[in-house]
This record gives sequence, C-alpha cells and structure tokens, in this order.
Amino acid sequence: MHSLNRRTLLAAGLAATAAPALAACGGGSSASPDAPVQFMLSGDANQGGGYAAMAEKYLEETGIQIEIVDVPYDDLQTKVRNASKANDLPAIGRMPSIDPVWLDRTVDLSEVAAEVKPIEGMYARDEEGKVPALPSDLTAVGMFLNKDLWDEAGVEYPTSFDDNVWTWDEFIESANSVREANGIRFSLVMDRSSHRLNSFLYQNGSEGLRLNEDLSQYEANDATVEALERFVAMNDDEVMPRSVWLTEEDPNAMFKTGQIAAYYSGSWQIADFVANIADFEWVSVPMPAQPDQATNFGAAAQIVVFEGTGQEQQALDFVKWLYSPENYAEISRISGFLPATEGVEVSYEDRQEDFDLYNAAIAASPAFVGEIKSRDLALQAAGTAAPLSGDPVRDEAVKAIAGDISAADAVTAALEQLNESLA
Amino acid sequence: MSFSARQIAPNILLWALAALFLFPVLWFLLSSFKPGSELFTWPLRLFPQDWTLSGYQTAWTRFDFQTYFLNTAIVAVVSTVFTVFVSACTGFALAKYRNRLVQIFFLLILVTTMLPTEVIMPSTFAVILGLGLYNSLAGIIIPSIITATGIFMFRQFFLTVPDELLQAARIDGAGEFRIFFRLMLPIARPIIAVLAIFSFQWRWNDYIWPLLVLNDQKKYTLQIALRSIVGAENIDWAVLLGASVISLIPMVLLFLVFRRQIMNSDISSGLKD
Repeated sequence: MHSLNRRTLLAAGLAATAAPALAACGGGSSASPDAPVQFMLSGDANQGGGYAAMAEKYLEETGIQIEIVDVPYDDLQTKVRNASKANDLPAIGRMPSIDPVWLDRTVDLSEVAAEVKPIEGMYARDEEGKVPALPSDLTAVGMFLNKDLWDEAGVEYPTSFDDNVWTWDEFIESANSVREANGIRFSLVMDRSSHRLNSFLYQNGSEGLRLNEDLSQYEANDATVEALERFVAMNDDEVMPRSVWLTEEDPNAMFKTGQIAAYYSGSWQIADFVANIADFEWVSVPMPAQPDQATNFGAAAQIVVFEGTGQEQQALDFVKWLYSPENYAEISRISGFLPATEGVEVSYEDRQEDFDLYNAAIAASPAFVGEIKSRDLALQAAGTAAPLSGDPVRDEAVKAIAGDISAADAVTAALEQLNESLA
Repeated sequence: MSFSARQIAPNILLWALAALFLFPVLWFLLSSFKPGSELFTWPLRLFPQDWTLSGYQTAWTRFDFQTYFLNTAIVAVVSTVFTVFVSACTGFALAKYRNRLVQIFFLLILVTTMLPTEVIMPSTFAVILGLGLYNSLAGIIIPSIITATGIFMFRQFFLTVPDELLQAARIDGAGEFRIFFRLMLPIARPIIAVLAIFSFQWRWNDYIWPLLVLNDQKKYTLQIALRSIVGAENIDWAVLLGASVISLIPMVLLFLVFRRQIMNSDISSGLKD
C-alpha cells in the first residue's frame, strides 16, 4: 500500500489547475460600439443570401460592418433565449415570433414603423404604444399544379382571380380526373401545418380558431367543424395521402416526383421549384373558394433590435436603411420575398407572374385574416400568453385524420389547449 | 479447393447483410452527384442521369468549410488529448492508490454516468458563463474533458496490471511520475487508442452543446454549420448532400488509418460519453 506523498500531490494539483487555464485563452463577449453589428437570423444562405448582400452594400455605403449570423432555424429561439440569459444578445434579430423571454429587452421601433409603413395588421403595439418588432417579409399560402399532367389530361384550371375561381368541389373533381387520366398516385398534397390548414378553413367559411377582440379567448365559428370534417375526409389515400399528416412524409418531395396533381403550400416554394424541378412544367393557380376567396398570409419573421448591446443606434440606422423602398425592393428581389411594406414594387428574377398572383391573393383576402394576425401579434407583444408545446390545431387534426377522434372533438380539444395558454 | 454447403450458406448470408448495410450509404453517395431536379424523380434511379458536382460546389462556396473544419478539428483534437491524459491519470490513481476517500471519489464519478448530459446542461452552462468561456472554443472543450467512461476504462485496465510491477519499479528508485509515464502509459496503449478514437468521434459529432455555447459564426463547428442548411420550410437537399459528404471525409480517413483499433474498440461499445 502506498500513500501519496506531499510533493506528488502538489504537482498533481498544479497540473490539474493549469490544464483549464491553458485552454481558457480566448473567448468573452464584445459589445464595443466599433465592433461589427451582429444580425442573427436563419436560412439567409438558403434564400439567395439577400441579407448578406445588403450587409455588403451597407458596408460599402457607410463603412459600418453588419455581421450576419446564420443559425439553424429550429434552434434560433433557444439560441437567442440563451444569449439573452448570457447578456450577449445580437444587435438585431430576425425571429420567427416574439418571445416573452426577451420581449422587454427590445428597442421601440415605432419611429421606424411610422417611416416605413408596414402593411397594417402585420405589426403590433403594446399598451404603452411600443412597437417591439417589424415584419421582415410576408409569406402566403398558395397552390401549385403540375401543368404537364393537367394539360395531358385536358383539364382546365383558372389562372387569375378574374377567371371564375373554382370551388373546392370543382377543384377536387378536376384533380381527380387528372389523377385518373394520368394514372398517378394522388390528386393533392398539403403541408403538415396549421398555417396551411387554417387557410383551407378560411376558404370553407370558417375563420379558424381565432382570438376574440379583447384577446381573452379563442373561438371557432359554426362552419369550422364542417370544414375540418371536409379536410379529414380528403385524407383518404386517394385524393390526399394520409402519410403526409400522419407520418410526416415530405409533400415537397412528393410533388417533385411528378406523381401528384396539385400541391397546397406557399410562396416560399417558388425559388426551390425554379431551381429543382426540371422534369415537368408547374404553375401557381388561385386556390379554391367555397365560398370564400382567402389566403393565410402573415409576416415570415419579425425584425427586432435588442437593448443593452451598446449598438442600438447603429442597429436602428441599419434597419431604417434596410426598409428604405429601394433597398427593400432589392432584398425582396434577391431573396424572393413578398414585401411587408406598402407601396414597394419588386421586379423578380424569375416567375414574376407567380409572385403577382400571391400579391393579388393577399389583396383579395377578407379583412378577418389581417385581423387574426394583428390579434396574434398583439398577444405576443403583450407577452402574457404561456408558450404552447406543439401546435394544438395541427396535432388535433392529425388525431382526427387517424380516426381517433371526430372533427368536432378535435376543434373542442384544440380550443381548450389554446385557451389554457391564455389562462 | 471445394466449398461445402455449410460454408456457402453463411457466406451468402453475410454478403447479403453487408450489401444491405452498404446500400443506403451507396445511395447517399450517388445522390450527392445528382442535380437537385433529379433527387425525387419517379421512378427512382440509383445512378445519376446527369453527373454533377454542383451540390458540392454550392456547399463549398456558400459555407466557410475551412473555418468549420479547423474549429471542429481544434475541438476534437484538444479535447481528445486532454480526455485521454486526464482519464489515464485518474484511472491510475483510482486503481493503484488504496484509500477510502479515493474509493468514495470513484463512486461519485461512477454516479455521474446516471445523469444524462442534457440534465446537467443548464448548470454546466451557468458555470461556463461564470468562467467567461461563453462563445469560445474552450467552452466546448473543457466540459467534455472529463468522462466517467474514460476514467472507468483506465481504472479497470490498471486493476489488471499486477501491483508487483509497481513495487519493483519503486524498489528500483522510480518516482510516481516516472512510474506513470514510463511504465503505466506505455502498457495502456490499447486503452489510449480506444478512448482517443471514441473521444474524437464524440467531439466531431457533437451538436447541442456547441450550439448553446457558440454565438459567433466564425467559431461554429461543422455540425452546426450543416444544420443551418435545413431551412424553416425547405431543405436544399443537393447542398445538404454535398456538405454531408464533405463533413464525413475526415471520419472516413480516421477510420482507414485506425481501422484495427476501431474494430477492436467496438467490443466495448455501448458506453456513453
């Protein structure tokens, strides 16, 4: 048996303390006014690098460096929450939604809002009139057809809102005959998302599961259950594959196989389709209306300026510059954004007619869609709702499609969960 | 030379199994040479119609791979060196110095394996913040140096080394450090190799911890950079495939160089980091 002698112990202790000290060189956060202004976002490189291009232009014009930090989308919220705890927030963020964790650390953007005029309902004020965030750009739900299949089957479809826009019954009938004529797999696929489902509900006389005027409760009108029943019935493995909603099969990939007549998705697919579909022609068409013409549109993300970085003024200057009509049109063109401010004309590189159709669809949507968005944003800006785990509307719809519960029960259950988050 | 039926059947079975394992990898590799428009054609084709490197090109130009490779390599190499050294020291002490406190200490180390890494993450994060290591590579390296698995591996190994060897060395006048470095470390070479390979793999593939600690894009590791290809609504498959193949290359090289040790190390797999 050997016991440790003092010298050995001392040496071991020294070695143990030296190791971390050596590795600790470097690090620490910097927030001096001269440091580059950090702009944290997600997916810029995938969307054509619009923000990176604007940062470069800004550097040329002003000599101020904007550093674009591209974070994986699923982790953006976690990341900024942690950065907020670590007191290391970026100067600017492009966030999927407003988070109560950092809501009170945002700079008031009401002055910028007055100047750039975002589309009404796409931004919100809290009780004191503070505007915590501005919409970065809009996205809207829309429909794509596999043009080759429809032409091959000789089935007609509307191409603009001037035509007699079809009803869902007419659309399903047409799409089914395209499927049968071509011997393909399915008539329609729809993304597994409550955003798309809500759009479908709007077109079927429902107003979705929406907040009431004083933000105290979620409600659904009488047409909602019937509309959801219709959607559930469409998931019959003939019109629509059940695999998309039940087991998360990728509808985008399915549409690309050419085995699907129509794809109910949204404006963000255009750039991907231009680059990655070569086997067939595709078109954007007006979505069916039964009886209501509507699309679910909203801010793709929220631009926020964070407090306590020592760079608030530089960040504000950049945001103002970014939203100036000329620059905003440029980034919209590069990244394929639908503009979120009024009176900006964008000439896109590809498929101008598709973007025009989306803008027309937004303009033709009933007022309640904008109202729903502004109430959602007002709730976020108030920061009073508890965060939801998952997406009640989507998750309950999935149960209904699986046949576990009825559409009526799904609506009741989703309302219950949404209202619980308000309590 | 003739084969009996008893040899043929298992052979065919093994080849079939090997082909099954190989097939997804082959599909993945061949797909990375397809343009984005060919990835989802129906009917599916194994080979690209139109061989292209465009996915690789976009991946290479869009992402700063050199920086990410360098960062990941620094993290993997430095933490592996420290992990092996610290585990060897600790394992040696726990195996060869019989003292009640040392035994309790060993028990405490073993207990930490009961806690999943995710559970201790918030407290580790608080410590990293307090030490000012947030947003530095050191913040990823230091928490990962000490692994109970590594310590346990070395302790178990050193237990099998006869005490007589140490006593003989002591009689010859060797100090404790000399015994450790000149005698113990060389005989522990197989364990060093196994732990080094494991540790390198763990650190190379680490995702969630670097994501939490790093804020600056210039300090990103490969896995975080790869992940950012997956967008909110869309995935750029062609680029993701190209980037994934590129990120695999160092691991494949590592495997080729250390093939023998890795095959042996699989015997002790199933251990957690």
